[in-house]
Amino acid sequence: MTESPAAQAGATHPSVEALREAFGDTVTRATVSCGDTIVYVDASRIRDVLAWLKDTPGQDYNYLVDITAVEYRDVERPIEVVYNLLSLERKQPLRVKAELPKDGPLEIDSVVVLWRGANWLEREVYDMFGIRFRDHPDLRRILMWETYAEGYPLRKSFPLRGRFSRSEQMRQALNANPEAHYSMEELSIAEAYHNIPADMRDRLARGERAKIPEPPSETGGE
Amino acid sequence: MGLASTPTSGPAAEPAVVSAVSPNWVTTRLDFLVNWARSNSMWPMPFGTACCAIEFMATAASRYDIARFGMERMSFSPRQADVLLCAGRLPFKLAPVIRRIYDQMPQPKWVISMGACASTGGIFDNYAMVQGIDTVVPVDVYVPGCPPRPEGLLYGILLLQKKVRGETLADRSIRVEQTLDERGLRLPPERIDEISEPFGNSVHQTRSA
Repeated sequence: MTESPAAQAGATHPSVEALREAFGDTVTRATVSCGDTIVYVDASRIRDVLAWLKDTPGQDYNYLVDITAVEYRDVERPIEVVYNLLSLERKQPLRVKAELPKDGPLEIDSVVVLWRGANWLEREVYDMFGIRFRDHPDLRRILMWETYAEGYPLRKSFPLRGRFSRSEQMRQALNANPEAHYSMEELSIAEAYHNIPADMRDRLARGERAKIPEPPSETGGE
Repeated sequence: MGLASTPTSGPAAEPAVVSAVSPNWVTTRLDFLVNWARSNSMWPMPFGTACCAIEFMATAASRYDIARFGMERMSFSPRQADVLLCAGRLPFKLAPVIRRIYDQMPQPKWVISMGACASTGGIFDNYAMVQGIDTVVPVDVYVPGCPPRPEGLLYGILLLQKKVRGETLADRSIRVEQTLDERGLRLPPERIDEISEPFGNSVHQTRSA
């Protein structure tokens, strides 16, 4: 990528300079887009970089606004995992991106240990893109139902109307148990387990979740 | 009047009950009374999922005021509702929910599908959306629009009242509970696929696009 004037301006962002000093080649490049500084870092060290940005005095990017991912139409381009950070004290935003090549495993370290709020954000990225977050405490689908077996909807290889026929989609939807969406942890009643009514205790112990089929392998590009 | 049979078939003929309620002066007068009461005191169960629900609220509020048609009492319990009013798109995740609500409503019950998305899927011809709630529950009145104006919804309600006034005790089939088949579907799979076929601008998107 050619270095535009804007990109050079990004290189002079104080956090980028500090990151380059601390991590060297881990920071692959930095650009400015629409006034926002974007730093590309090596995916294998993403947790170290984000921990450093969060905890280093003078950086203090203590608020994780969002985690998302981008897949480009160009099949050669890697999938990007995007971390939008914000320093609440300094009112300074920073966008960090990690690139995952499509021919490799779509895996990256979870940052739930840094921000507990990353839990659902990473689940959403997993749900929509199939990117697995290592050491995530509870990596399940969050928007689509847990038995959803058609793949990952925001991948470019995913057909807009889904993989199954409408009748099959309807059959699976109508056969779903609408009350089977909550685990004991989500209901926060694990501690009150012995005080809840016997029939509810029985249902929880039996587990109302449907069987979860294996997701289709969708690691490589098509 | 599918079940109408003449009382001349003799006292030994089996449809004694049917003949007792077949269209005669008494039953038609009773029909008139019952239908008058039902059509003028329908309690809607609002199932609002999207912007149509905003128009529905406008319809219920003082300017348009569906209380004029006996519908001011929103029934947030399906067990006390007469009309299931689906206002908005229905994702597949909500399909079993609306089906359960419909099953919990006591007979007599009717369904209004409000807006393009509830009726056909609308612009949401994608992996997550039911292409018309008639693949989940039987629908009596479809109200077009995106979203329909309150006048449109009121017209749909008036059409439903007209339909209710045409019902008769002699036709028992309209009150038979329509359950899901052994596959868990309301319609045969081919019918669902046919109903869900893309139309309008959606035909330019192929399944693989």
